[in-house]
Amino acid sequence: MRIRTRLTLWYAAVMFASLTLMGALSYHEFVREAERTRAQYRDHGPEPGTARGRGGHFAQVAGIILWCGVPSALLALGGGWWLMRRALSPLEALTRAVERTHERSLHEHLPRTGNGDELDRLTEVFNGMTARLDQSFQRIREFTLHASHELKTPLTVMQGELETACREEALTDAQRERLLSHLDEVQRLGKIVDGLSLLTKADAGQVPFAREPVQMDDIVREAVEDAQHLAQGHDVRISLTACEALSVRGDRHRLRQVLLNLTDNAIKYNCPNGTVTIGLSRVDGFAQLAIANTGPGIPQELQPRVFERFFRGDPSHGNTVEGCGLGLSIAQWIVHAHGGTIRIDSKEQGVTTVTVLLPTIRAA
Amino acid sequence: MRVLVVEDEKKTASFIRKALRAEGFAVDVCHDGEDALHLAATVPYDAIVLDIMLPGRDGLSVLRQLRERRSSVPVLLLSARGEVNERVEGLDAGADDYLPKPFALAELVARVRAMGRRGGEPRATVLQVADLTLDTVTRVARRGGTLIELTAREYRLLEFLMRSPGRICGRMTILEKVWDYDFDPGTNLVDVYVRRLREKVDADFQPRLIHTVRGVGYVLRETP
Repeated sequence: MRIRTRLTLWYAAVMFASLTLMGALSYHEFVREAERTRAQYRDHGPEPGTARGRGGHFAQVAGIILWCGVPSALLALGGGWWLMRRALSPLEALTRAVERTHERSLHEHLPRTGNGDELDRLTEVFNGMTARLDQSFQRIREFTLHASHELKTPLTVMQGELETACREEALTDAQRERLLSHLDEVQRLGKIVDGLSLLTKADAGQVPFAREPVQMDDIVREAVEDAQHLAQGHDVRISLTACEALSVRGDRHRLRQVLLNLTDNAIKYNCPNGTVTIGLSRVDGFAQLAIANTGPGIPQELQPRVFERFFRGDPSHGNTVEGCGLGLSIAQWIVHAHGGTIRIDSKEQGVTTVTVLLPTIRAA
Repeated sequence: MRVLVVEDEKKTASFIRKALRAEGFAVDVCHDGEDALHLAATVPYDAIVLDIMLPGRDGLSVLRQLRERRSSVPVLLLSARGEVNERVEGLDAGADDYLPKPFALAELVARVRAMGRRGGEPRATVLQVADLTLDTVTRVARRGGTLIELTAREYRLLEFLMRSPGRICGRMTILEKVWDYDFDPGTNLVDVYVRRLREKVDADFQPRLIHTVRGVGYVLRETP
Protein backbone atom coordinates (compact mmCIF):
# COMPACT_ATOMS: atom_id res chain seq x y z
CA MET A 1 0.00 0.00 0.00
CA ARG A 2 1.35 3.44 -0.90
CA ILE A 3 2.29 5.76 1.88
CA ARG A 4 -0.20 8.35 0.64
CA THR A 5 -3.13 5.92 0.78
CA ARG A 6 -2.04 4.61 4.14
CA LEU A 7 -1.70 8.08 5.66
CA THR A 8 -5.03 9.20 4.19
CA LEU A 9 -6.80 6.17 5.67
CA TRP A 10 -5.19 6.74 9.04
CA TYR A 11 -6.08 10.40 8.89
CA ALA A 12 -9.68 9.62 7.94
CA ALA A 13 -9.91 7.01 10.71
CA VAL A 14 -8.63 9.47 13.33
CA MET A 15 -10.95 12.15 11.97
CA PHE A 16 -13.88 9.77 12.01
CA ALA A 17 -13.06 8.61 15.55
CA SER A 18 -12.84 12.20 16.82
CA LEU A 19 -16.10 13.13 15.07
CA THR A 20 -17.80 10.09 16.54
CA LEU A 21 -16.47 10.99 19.97
CA MET A 22 -17.64 14.56 19.54
CA GLY A 23 -21.03 13.34 18.33
CA ALA A 24 -21.31 10.96 21.26
CA LEU A 25 -20.39 13.68 23.78
CA SER A 26 -22.78 16.18 22.20
CA TYR A 27 -25.51 13.58 22.21
CA HIS A 28 -24.77 12.85 25.84
CA GLU A 29 -24.86 16.61 26.68
CA PHE A 30 -28.13 17.07 24.80
CA VAL A 31 -29.71 14.15 26.60
CA ARG A 32 -28.55 15.48 30.02
CA GLU A 33 -29.75 18.93 29.13
CA ALA A 34 -33.11 17.51 28.09
CA GLU A 35 -33.35 15.48 31.32
CA ARG A 36 -32.62 18.60 33.39
CA THR A 37 -35.23 20.64 31.51
CA ARG A 38 -37.77 17.90 32.00
CA ALA A 39 -36.99 17.76 35.74
CA GLN A 40 -37.54 21.54 35.96
CA TYR A 41 -40.88 21.26 34.19
CA ARG A 42 -41.86 18.36 36.42
CA ASP A 43 -41.20 20.58 39.50
CA HIS A 44 -43.38 23.37 38.07
CA GLY A 45 -46.14 21.12 36.87
CA PRO A 46 -46.50 18.60 34.10
CA GLU A 47 -46.45 19.71 30.52
CA PRO A 48 -48.17 17.88 27.75
CA GLY A 49 -46.21 16.32 24.96
CA THR A 50 -43.02 15.99 26.87
CA ALA A 51 -42.54 12.36 26.07
CA ARG A 52 -43.03 13.11 22.35
CA GLY A 53 -40.79 16.17 22.74
CA ARG A 54 -38.07 13.98 24.18
CA GLY A 55 -38.26 11.50 21.36
CA GLY A 56 -38.21 14.38 18.76
CA HIS A 57 -35.19 15.84 20.46
CA PHE A 58 -33.24 12.61 20.17
CA ALA A 59 -34.16 12.17 16.52
CA GLN A 60 -33.17 15.78 15.83
CA VAL A 61 -29.79 15.35 17.52
CA ALA A 62 -29.16 12.04 15.78
CA GLY A 63 -30.14 13.68 12.47
CA ILE A 64 -27.71 16.56 12.99
CA ILE A 65 -24.91 14.15 13.85
CA LEU A 66 -25.67 11.91 10.87
CA TRP A 67 -26.28 14.61 8.27
CA CYS A 68 -23.36 16.75 9.36
CA GLY A 69 -21.02 14.00 10.56
CA VAL A 70 -21.01 11.87 7.41
CA PRO A 71 -20.24 14.72 4.98
CA SER A 72 -17.57 15.95 7.41
CA ALA A 73 -16.03 12.48 7.44
CA LEU A 74 -16.10 12.38 3.64
CA LEU A 75 -14.63 15.85 3.46
CA ALA A 76 -11.93 14.70 5.87
CA LEU A 77 -11.18 11.75 3.61
CA GLY A 78 -10.98 13.88 0.43
CA GLY A 79 -9.13 16.69 2.14
CA GLY A 80 -6.75 14.21 3.66
CA TRP A 81 -6.02 12.75 0.26
CA TRP A 82 -5.36 16.20 -1.17
CA LEU A 83 -3.21 17.22 1.80
CA MET A 84 -1.13 14.07 1.61
CA ARG A 85 -0.59 14.54 -2.07
CA ARG A 86 0.50 18.09 -1.51
CA ALA A 87 2.80 17.10 1.34
CA LEU A 88 4.34 14.20 -0.53
CA SER A 89 4.77 15.77 -3.96
CA PRO A 90 8.26 17.20 -3.17
CA LEU A 91 9.20 13.69 -2.04
CA GLU A 92 8.10 12.30 -5.40
CA ALA A 93 10.04 14.97 -7.24
CA LEU A 94 13.04 14.03 -5.12
CA THR A 95 12.54 10.34 -5.92
CA ARG A 96 12.45 11.07 -9.64
CA ALA A 97 15.60 13.16 -9.37
CA VAL A 98 17.39 10.44 -7.41
CA GLU A 99 16.27 7.88 -9.97
CA ARG A 100 18.01 9.88 -12.67
CA THR A 101 21.27 9.93 -10.73
CA HIS A 102 23.90 7.54 -12.05
CA GLU A 103 27.66 7.09 -12.02
CA ARG A 104 28.24 9.84 -14.56
CA SER A 105 25.87 12.45 -13.18
CA LEU A 106 27.17 12.41 -9.62
CA HIS A 107 28.59 15.89 -9.95
CA GLU A 108 25.12 17.32 -10.68
CA HIS A 109 23.34 18.48 -7.54
CA LEU A 110 19.62 18.08 -6.95
CA PRO A 111 17.78 21.42 -6.81
CA ARG A 112 16.93 22.52 -3.25
CA THR A 113 13.86 24.45 -2.18
CA GLY A 114 15.92 26.34 0.39
CA ASN A 115 13.01 26.63 2.85
CA GLY A 116 14.83 24.49 5.43
CA ASP A 117 12.09 21.87 5.85
CA GLU A 118 12.68 18.15 6.28
CA LEU A 119 12.73 17.46 2.55
CA ASP A 120 15.15 20.27 1.90
CA ARG A 121 17.37 18.79 4.55
CA LEU A 122 17.05 15.35 2.92
CA THR A 123 18.05 16.85 -0.46
CA GLU A 124 21.04 18.48 1.17
CA VAL A 125 22.12 15.21 2.77
CA PHE A 126 21.64 13.39 -0.53
CA ASN A 127 23.70 15.99 -2.39
CA GLY A 128 26.44 15.60 0.19
CA MET A 129 26.42 11.85 -0.33
CA THR A 130 26.64 12.07 -4.13
CA ALA A 131 29.45 14.59 -3.81
CA ARG A 132 31.39 12.14 -1.64
CA LEU A 133 30.64 9.31 -4.09
CA ASP A 134 31.73 11.49 -6.96
CA GLN A 135 35.01 12.15 -5.19
CA SER A 136 35.56 8.43 -4.63
CA PHE A 137 34.88 7.63 -8.27
CA GLN A 138 37.17 10.44 -9.27
CA ARG A 139 39.91 9.08 -7.02
CA ILE A 140 39.56 5.59 -8.49
CA ARG A 141 39.74 6.98 -12.03
CA GLU A 142 42.74 9.10 -11.21
CA PHE A 143 44.37 6.16 -9.52
CA THR A 144 43.88 3.92 -12.58
CA LEU A 145 45.07 6.67 -14.87
CA HIS A 146 48.17 7.32 -12.80
CA ALA A 147 48.80 3.61 -12.36
CA SER A 148 48.65 2.94 -16.10
CA HIS A 149 50.83 5.97 -16.66
CA GLU A 150 53.39 4.90 -14.08
CA LEU A 151 53.46 1.38 -15.55
CA LYS A 152 54.53 2.69 -18.92
CA THR A 153 57.96 3.83 -17.80
CA PRO A 154 59.09 0.47 -16.37
CA LEU A 155 57.53 -1.24 -19.37
CA THR A 156 59.55 0.96 -21.70
CA VAL A 157 62.68 0.16 -19.73
CA MET A 158 61.95 -3.58 -19.77
CA GLN A 159 61.21 -3.61 -23.48
CA GLY A 160 64.36 -1.65 -24.24
CA GLU A 161 66.56 -3.82 -22.04
CA LEU A 162 65.11 -7.02 -23.52
CA GLU A 163 65.63 -5.81 -27.06
CA THR A 164 69.19 -4.84 -26.26
CA ALA A 165 69.78 -8.21 -24.58
CA CYS A 166 68.40 -10.09 -27.61
CA ARG A 167 71.09 -8.54 -29.77
CA GLU A 168 73.95 -10.05 -27.76
CA GLU A 169 76.02 -12.23 -30.06
CA ALA A 170 76.94 -14.75 -27.35
CA LEU A 171 73.36 -15.94 -26.73
CA THR A 172 72.37 -19.52 -27.41
CA ASP A 173 69.17 -20.05 -29.38
CA ALA A 174 67.34 -21.25 -26.26
CA GLN A 175 68.35 -18.15 -24.33
CA ARG A 176 67.33 -15.88 -27.17
CA GLU A 177 63.99 -17.64 -27.47
CA ARG A 178 63.37 -17.14 -23.76
CA LEU A 179 64.19 -13.44 -23.98
CA LEU A 180 61.94 -13.04 -27.02
CA SER A 181 59.09 -14.74 -25.20
CA HIS A 182 59.59 -12.25 -22.34
CA LEU A 183 59.48 -9.50 -24.93
CA ASP A 184 56.14 -10.78 -26.25
CA GLU A 185 54.67 -10.73 -22.77
CA VAL A 186 55.98 -7.25 -22.06
CA GLN A 187 54.28 -6.07 -25.25
CA ARG A 188 51.05 -7.75 -24.25
CA LEU A 189 51.23 -5.98 -20.92
CA GLY A 190 51.80 -2.73 -22.80
CA LYS A 191 48.59 -3.30 -24.77
CA ILE A 192 46.61 -4.00 -21.63
CA VAL A 193 47.92 -0.82 -20.03
CA ASP A 194 47.01 1.15 -23.17
CA GLY A 195 43.47 -0.22 -23.19
CA LEU A 196 43.08 0.48 -19.49
CA SER A 197 44.23 4.06 -19.73
CA LEU A 198 41.95 4.62 -22.74
CA LEU A 199 38.92 3.36 -20.82
CA THR A 200 39.82 5.36 -17.74
CA LYS A 201 40.03 8.50 -19.82
CA ALA A 202 36.74 7.56 -21.46
CA ASP A 203 35.14 7.27 -18.01
CA ALA A 204 36.37 10.73 -17.15
CA GLY A 205 34.97 12.00 -20.48
CA GLN A 206 38.44 13.05 -21.62
CA VAL A 207 38.44 11.35 -25.01
CA PRO A 208 37.21 13.62 -27.78
CA PHE A 209 35.07 12.19 -30.59
CA ALA A 210 34.82 13.50 -34.11
CA ARG A 211 31.25 14.25 -35.25
CA GLU A 212 31.38 13.84 -38.98
CA PRO A 213 29.20 11.91 -41.40
CA VAL A 214 30.50 8.35 -41.75
CA GLN A 215 29.36 6.10 -44.59
CA MET A 216 28.68 2.89 -42.67
CA ASP A 217 28.46 0.59 -45.72
CA ASP A 218 31.98 1.63 -46.75
CA ILE A 219 33.56 0.78 -43.44
CA VAL A 220 31.54 -2.44 -43.19
CA ARG A 221 32.81 -3.61 -46.60
CA GLU A 222 36.32 -2.71 -45.56
CA ALA A 223 35.95 -4.65 -42.30
CA VAL A 224 34.63 -7.64 -44.26
CA GLU A 225 37.71 -7.58 -46.47
CA ASP A 226 39.98 -7.51 -43.43
CA ALA A 227 37.89 -10.21 -41.78
CA GLN A 228 38.28 -12.48 -44.79
CA HIS A 229 42.03 -12.32 -44.34
CA LEU A 230 41.84 -12.81 -40.60
CA ALA A 231 39.54 -15.79 -41.03
CA GLN A 232 41.88 -17.75 -43.29
CA GLY A 233 43.92 -19.19 -40.47
CA HIS A 234 40.80 -20.20 -38.54
CA ASP A 235 38.79 -22.22 -41.12
CA VAL A 236 36.00 -19.71 -40.85
CA ARG A 237 33.87 -18.38 -43.70
CA ILE A 238 32.76 -14.74 -43.80
CA SER A 239 29.51 -13.76 -45.45
CA LEU A 240 28.02 -10.32 -45.93
CA THR A 241 24.24 -10.74 -46.11
CA ALA A 242 23.12 -7.13 -46.41
CA CYS A 243 24.89 -3.84 -46.76
CA GLU A 244 22.52 -0.92 -47.20
CA ALA A 245 23.90 2.52 -47.94
CA LEU A 246 23.64 4.25 -44.57
CA SER A 247 25.46 7.04 -42.89
CA VAL A 248 25.78 7.95 -39.25
CA ARG A 249 27.34 10.90 -37.49
CA GLY A 250 30.42 10.02 -35.54
CA ASP A 251 34.08 9.18 -35.35
CA ARG A 252 35.20 7.13 -38.34
CA HIS A 253 38.29 5.72 -36.63
CA ARG A 254 36.39 4.66 -33.55
CA LEU A 255 33.59 3.06 -35.56
CA ARG A 256 36.13 1.10 -37.58
CA GLN A 257 37.63 0.01 -34.28
CA VAL A 258 34.24 -1.36 -33.17
CA LEU A 259 33.75 -3.22 -36.46
CA LEU A 260 37.20 -4.73 -36.46
CA ASN A 261 36.91 -5.75 -32.84
CA LEU A 262 33.51 -7.41 -33.29
CA THR A 263 34.45 -9.26 -36.49
CA ASP A 264 37.74 -10.34 -34.95
CA ASN A 265 35.93 -11.70 -31.88
CA ALA A 266 33.37 -13.48 -34.07
CA ILE A 267 36.25 -15.21 -35.86
CA LYS A 268 38.34 -16.02 -32.80
CA TYR A 269 35.47 -17.38 -30.71
CA ASN A 270 34.06 -19.56 -33.45
CA CYS A 271 33.93 -23.29 -33.91
CA PRO A 272 36.01 -24.92 -36.66
CA ASN A 273 34.43 -24.71 -40.14
CA GLY A 274 32.17 -22.01 -38.76
CA THR A 275 30.66 -18.99 -40.41
CA VAL A 276 30.56 -15.32 -39.53
CA THR A 277 27.57 -13.47 -40.95
CA ILE A 278 27.64 -9.70 -41.15
CA GLY A 279 24.66 -7.55 -42.07
CA LEU A 280 24.00 -3.82 -42.16
CA SER A 281 20.42 -2.67 -42.55
CA ARG A 282 18.11 0.22 -41.73
CA VAL A 283 15.71 -0.41 -38.87
CA ASP A 284 13.40 2.42 -37.69
CA GLY A 285 15.85 5.23 -38.32
CA PHE A 286 18.75 3.26 -36.93
CA ALA A 287 21.64 1.58 -38.67
CA GLN A 288 21.52 -1.98 -37.46
CA LEU A 289 24.74 -3.90 -37.65
CA ALA A 290 24.44 -7.58 -36.83
CA ILE A 291 27.47 -9.82 -36.58
CA ALA A 292 26.67 -13.46 -35.97
CA ASN A 293 28.88 -16.50 -35.63
CA THR A 294 28.18 -20.19 -35.38
CA GLY A 295 29.06 -20.57 -31.73
CA PRO A 296 29.98 -22.10 -29.34
CA GLY A 297 27.35 -20.05 -27.53
CA ILE A 298 27.76 -18.08 -24.34
CA PRO A 299 25.79 -19.38 -21.33
CA GLN A 300 22.73 -17.24 -20.58
CA GLU A 301 23.93 -16.11 -17.16
CA LEU A 302 27.26 -14.86 -18.54
CA GLN A 303 25.81 -12.86 -21.45
CA PRO A 304 25.28 -9.57 -19.60
CA ARG A 305 28.83 -9.77 -18.31
CA VAL A 306 30.72 -9.98 -21.61
CA PHE A 307 31.04 -6.20 -21.76
CA GLU A 308 32.75 -6.08 -18.37
CA ARG A 309 36.40 -5.23 -18.31
CA PHE A 310 38.76 -8.21 -18.29
CA PHE A 311 35.81 -10.58 -18.44
CA ARG A 312 36.67 -13.98 -19.87
CA GLY A 313 33.72 -16.27 -20.52
CA ASP A 314 35.33 -19.53 -19.66
CA PRO A 315 38.48 -19.44 -17.52
CA SER A 316 39.88 -22.48 -19.33
CA HIS A 317 39.28 -20.67 -22.61
CA GLY A 318 40.99 -17.51 -21.46
CA ASN A 319 44.52 -18.31 -22.37
CA THR A 320 43.94 -19.93 -25.72
CA VAL A 321 42.64 -16.76 -27.32
CA GLU A 322 44.93 -13.77 -27.46
CA GLY A 323 43.73 -10.27 -26.66
CA CYS A 324 43.68 -7.97 -23.72
CA GLY A 325 40.15 -8.61 -22.41
CA LEU A 326 39.08 -5.01 -22.95
CA GLY A 327 37.92 -5.14 -26.58
CA LEU A 328 34.19 -5.44 -25.94
CA SER A 329 34.28 -2.85 -23.15
CA ILE A 330 35.92 -0.44 -25.56
CA ALA A 331 33.39 -1.30 -28.29
CA GLN A 332 30.52 -0.68 -25.88
CA TRP A 333 31.95 2.66 -24.82
CA ILE A 334 32.31 3.77 -28.46
CA VAL A 335 28.76 2.69 -29.37
CA HIS A 336 27.29 4.46 -26.33
CA ALA A 337 29.27 7.59 -27.12
CA HIS A 338 27.54 7.58 -30.53
CA GLY A 339 24.13 7.40 -28.87
CA GLY A 340 23.71 3.78 -29.90
CA THR A 341 23.17 0.46 -28.20
CA ILE A 342 25.00 -2.85 -28.34
CA ARG A 343 23.74 -6.19 -27.15
CA ILE A 344 24.66 -9.82 -27.40
CA ASP A 345 22.27 -12.73 -27.88
CA SER A 346 23.50 -16.24 -27.69
CA LYS A 347 21.86 -19.60 -27.79
CA GLU A 348 23.54 -22.10 -25.49
CA GLN A 349 24.91 -24.36 -28.22
CA GLY A 350 24.51 -22.16 -31.23
CA VAL A 351 24.50 -18.81 -32.90
CA THR A 352 25.86 -15.80 -31.06
CA THR A 353 24.79 -12.44 -32.47
CA VAL A 354 26.11 -9.04 -31.54
CA THR A 355 23.72 -6.29 -32.60
CA VAL A 356 24.72 -2.64 -32.76
CA LEU A 357 22.16 0.09 -33.32
CA LEU A 358 23.35 3.56 -34.28
CA PRO A 359 21.17 6.57 -35.07
CA THR A 360 21.42 7.40 -38.77
CA ILE A 361 21.60 10.78 -40.41
CA ARG A 362 18.47 11.58 -42.35
CA ALA A 363 19.34 11.63 -46.04
CA ALA A 364 19.31 15.24 -47.23
CA MET B 1 74.85 12.18 -37.47
CA ARG B 2 74.49 13.82 -34.07
CA VAL B 3 71.43 13.18 -31.92
CA LEU B 4 70.22 14.80 -28.70
CA VAL B 5 68.20 12.61 -26.36
CA VAL B 6 66.08 14.50 -23.82
CA GLU B 7 64.65 12.04 -21.31
CA ASP B 8 64.45 12.43 -17.54
CA GLU B 9 64.15 8.72 -16.81
CA LYS B 10 67.81 7.68 -16.51
CA LYS B 11 67.45 4.04 -17.50
CA THR B 12 65.38 4.81 -20.56
CA ALA B 13 67.83 7.54 -21.57
CA SER B 14 70.71 5.14 -21.12
CA PHE B 15 69.42 2.39 -23.38
CA ILE B 16 68.28 4.84 -26.03
CA ARG B 17 71.82 6.23 -26.03
CA LYS B 18 73.31 2.74 -26.26
CA ALA B 19 71.06 1.75 -29.12
CA LEU B 20 71.71 4.94 -31.09
CA ARG B 21 75.46 4.68 -30.50
CA ALA B 22 75.38 1.10 -31.74
CA GLU B 23 73.98 2.52 -34.99
CA GLY B 24 76.97 4.82 -35.27
CA PHE B 25 75.27 8.06 -34.17
CA ALA B 26 76.93 10.60 -31.90
CA VAL B 27 74.59 10.93 -28.93
CA ASP B 28 74.21 13.57 -26.22
CA VAL B 29 71.81 13.05 -23.34
CA CYS B 30 70.21 15.59 -21.06
CA HIS B 31 67.49 15.21 -18.47
CA ASP B 32 65.46 18.41 -18.46
CA GLY B 33 63.91 20.95 -20.77
CA GLU B 34 66.12 23.95 -19.97
CA ASP B 35 69.31 21.98 -20.66
CA ALA B 36 67.78 20.71 -23.87
CA LEU B 37 67.06 24.24 -25.13
CA HIS B 38 70.55 25.34 -24.17
CA LEU B 39 72.20 22.39 -25.93
CA ALA B 40 70.02 22.70 -29.02
CA ALA B 41 71.02 26.36 -29.32
CA THR B 42 74.74 25.62 -29.15
CA VAL B 43 75.18 22.27 -30.94
CA PRO B 44 73.88 21.69 -34.50
CA TYR B 45 71.97 18.44 -34.02
CA ASP B 46 70.64 16.32 -36.88
CA ALA B 47 67.78 14.99 -34.77
CA ILE B 48 66.29 15.35 -31.27
CA VAL B 49 64.52 12.62 -29.34
CA LEU B 50 62.29 14.50 -26.90
CA ASP B 51 60.23 13.10 -24.04
CA ILE B 52 57.02 15.04 -23.34
CA MET B 53 57.06 14.51 -19.58
CA LEU B 54 60.05 16.41 -18.25
CA PRO B 55 60.68 18.13 -14.94
CA GLY B 56 60.43 21.92 -15.22
CA ARG B 57 59.78 22.86 -18.83
CA ASP B 58 57.94 20.02 -20.56
CA GLY B 59 58.71 18.56 -23.98
CA LEU B 60 55.94 20.34 -25.87
CA SER B 61 57.08 23.68 -24.52
CA VAL B 62 60.69 22.91 -25.50
CA LEU B 63 59.47 22.01 -28.97
CA ARG B 64 57.43 25.21 -29.37
CA GLN B 65 60.40 27.25 -28.17
CA LEU B 66 62.66 25.51 -30.72
CA ARG B 67 60.23 26.21 -33.55
CA GLU B 68 59.88 29.84 -32.44
CA ARG B 69 63.62 30.15 -32.80
CA ARG B 70 63.17 28.95 -36.37
CA SER B 71 65.07 25.76 -35.72
CA SER B 72 64.11 23.07 -38.23
CA VAL B 73 65.90 20.21 -36.51
CA PRO B 74 63.77 17.03 -36.84
CA VAL B 75 62.16 16.12 -33.50
CA LEU B 76 60.83 12.73 -32.45
CA LEU B 77 58.43 13.05 -29.50
CA LEU B 78 58.19 10.31 -26.91
CA SER B 79 55.06 10.16 -24.79
CA ALA B 80 53.71 7.91 -22.12
CA ARG B 81 50.23 9.18 -22.93
CA GLY B 82 49.89 7.92 -26.47
CA GLU B 83 46.40 9.19 -27.21
CA VAL B 84 45.33 10.48 -30.59
CA ASN B 85 44.67 14.05 -29.50
CA GLU B 86 48.03 14.27 -27.74
CA ARG B 87 49.76 13.06 -30.84
CA VAL B 88 47.94 15.68 -32.87
CA GLU B 89 48.97 18.28 -30.30
CA GLY B 90 52.59 17.15 -30.59
CA LEU B 91 52.59 17.20 -34.37
CA ASP B 92 50.89 20.60 -34.35
CA ALA B 93 53.59 21.93 -32.07
CA GLY B 94 56.09 21.05 -34.78
CA ALA B 95 57.19 17.50 -34.09
CA ASP B 96 58.26 15.42 -37.09
CA ASP B 97 57.35 12.09 -35.60
CA TYR B 98 55.76 10.66 -32.52
CA LEU B 99 56.29 7.43 -30.61
CA PRO B 100 54.12 6.33 -27.68
CA LYS B 101 55.68 4.56 -24.72
CA PRO B 102 56.40 1.72 -24.34
CA PHE B 103 58.12 1.67 -27.72
CA ALA B 104 60.35 -0.82 -29.48
CA LEU B 105 63.93 0.32 -29.45
CA ALA B 106 64.49 -0.93 -32.99
CA GLU B 107 61.63 1.23 -34.16
CA LEU B 108 62.95 4.29 -32.37
CA VAL B 109 66.32 3.83 -34.05
CA ALA B 110 64.65 3.31 -37.43
CA ARG B 111 62.60 6.46 -37.04
CA VAL B 112 65.55 8.57 -35.95
CA ARG B 113 67.46 7.37 -38.99
CA ALA B 114 64.52 8.09 -41.26
CA MET B 115 64.20 11.62 -39.82
CA GLY B 116 67.84 12.30 -40.51
CA ARG B 117 67.33 11.39 -44.17
CA ARG B 118 64.05 13.20 -44.56
CA GLY B 119 63.58 15.89 -47.12
CA GLY B 120 66.52 15.25 -49.41
CA GLU B 121 65.61 12.47 -51.79
CA PRO B 122 62.85 12.95 -54.34
CA ARG B 123 60.18 10.27 -54.31
CA ALA B 124 61.03 7.62 -56.88
CA THR B 125 58.24 6.32 -59.08
CA VAL B 126 59.77 2.89 -59.53
CA LEU B 127 60.95 1.28 -56.31
CA GLN B 128 63.44 -1.53 -56.41
CA VAL B 129 64.88 -3.91 -53.82
CA ALA B 130 66.97 -6.81 -55.22
CA ASP B 131 64.94 -8.10 -58.19
CA LEU B 132 61.61 -6.89 -56.80
CA THR B 133 60.26 -3.78 -58.52
CA LEU B 134 57.17 -1.75 -57.82
CA ASP B 135 55.93 0.85 -60.24
CA THR B 136 53.97 3.38 -58.19
CA VAL B 137 52.37 4.91 -61.28
CA THR B 138 51.00 1.77 -62.93
CA ARG B 139 50.82 -0.04 -59.56
CA VAL B 140 52.51 -3.11 -61.01
CA ALA B 141 54.80 -5.31 -58.95
CA ARG B 142 57.29 -7.69 -60.56
CA ARG B 143 59.76 -10.09 -59.08
CA GLY B 144 62.55 -11.07 -61.54
CA GLY B 145 60.20 -10.15 -64.40
CA THR B 146 57.27 -12.22 -63.09
CA LEU B 147 54.12 -10.21 -62.56
CA ILE B 148 52.76 -10.33 -58.99
CA GLU B 149 49.01 -9.83 -58.53
CA LEU B 150 48.26 -7.67 -55.50
CA THR B 151 45.06 -6.46 -53.89
CA ALA B 152 44.81 -2.74 -53.10
CA ARG B 153 45.73 -3.26 -49.46
CA GLU B 154 48.64 -5.56 -50.29
CA TYR B 155 49.90 -3.01 -52.75
CA ARG B 156 49.85 -0.25 -50.10
CA LEU B 157 51.63 -2.52 -47.64
CA LEU B 158 54.33 -3.46 -50.14
CA GLU B 159 54.77 0.15 -51.20
CA PHE B 160 55.15 1.23 -47.57
CA LEU B 161 57.78 -1.45 -46.90
CA MET B 162 59.65 -0.67 -50.13
CA ARG B 163 59.66 3.09 -49.56
CA SER B 164 62.18 2.58 -46.79
CA PRO B 165 64.07 -0.67 -47.40
CA GLY B 166 66.05 -1.75 -44.38
CA ARG B 167 63.89 0.33 -42.05
CA ILE B 168 62.18 -1.66 -39.33
CA CYS B 169 58.47 -0.91 -39.40
CA GLY B 170 56.51 -1.46 -36.21
CA ARG B 171 53.05 -3.01 -36.39
CA MET B 172 51.43 0.18 -35.13
CA THR B 173 53.24 2.24 -37.77
CA ILE B 174 52.09 -0.14 -40.49
CA LEU B 175 48.50 0.02 -39.21
CA GLU B 176 48.70 3.79 -39.28
CA LYS B 177 50.18 4.16 -42.73
CA VAL B 178 48.51 1.30 -44.57
CA TRP B 179 45.16 1.03 -42.81
CA ASP B 180 44.87 4.55 -41.47
CA TYR B 181 44.08 3.09 -38.03
CA ASP B 182 45.21 5.30 -35.22
CA PHE B 183 44.39 2.80 -32.50
CA ASP B 184 45.64 -0.62 -31.64
CA PRO B 185 42.92 -2.94 -32.90
CA GLY B 186 44.26 -5.82 -30.82
CA THR B 187 44.26 -8.20 -33.80
CA ASN B 188 46.98 -9.80 -35.84
CA LEU B 189 45.77 -8.08 -38.99
CA VAL B 190 49.25 -6.92 -39.98
CA ASP B 191 50.75 -10.37 -39.52
CA VAL B 192 48.01 -11.95 -41.62
CA TYR B 193 48.55 -9.50 -44.48
CA VAL B 194 52.32 -9.79 -44.32
CA ARG B 195 51.98 -13.57 -44.48
CA ARG B 196 49.85 -13.24 -47.64
CA LEU B 197 52.29 -10.79 -49.14
CA ARG B 198 55.16 -13.12 -48.39
CA GLU B 199 53.41 -15.98 -50.18
CA LYS B 200 53.26 -13.80 -53.26
CA VAL B 201 56.61 -12.03 -53.07
CA ASP B 202 58.94 -14.48 -51.34
CA ALA B 203 57.60 -18.02 -51.65
CA ASP B 204 58.91 -18.84 -55.13
CA PHE B 205 61.93 -16.59 -55.13
CA GLN B 206 65.39 -16.20 -53.58
CA PRO B 207 66.55 -14.37 -51.54
CA ARG B 208 63.66 -13.79 -49.14
CA LEU B 209 63.01 -10.08 -48.76
CA ILE B 210 60.39 -9.63 -46.06
CA HIS B 211 61.77 -10.36 -42.60
CA THR B 212 60.12 -10.47 -39.21
CA VAL B 213 61.67 -8.49 -36.40
CA ARG B 214 60.36 -10.25 -33.34
CA GLY B 215 58.60 -8.00 -30.88
CA VAL B 216 58.66 -5.06 -33.28
CA GLY B 217 57.33 -5.65 -36.77
CA TYR B 218 58.71 -6.18 -40.24
CA VAL B 219 61.49 -5.05 -42.51
CA LEU B 220 62.09 -5.43 -46.22
CA ARG B 221 65.74 -5.89 -47.17
CA GLU B 222 68.03 -8.14 -49.17
CA THR B 223 70.17 -9.47 -46.36
CA PRO B 224 68.46 -11.58 -43.68
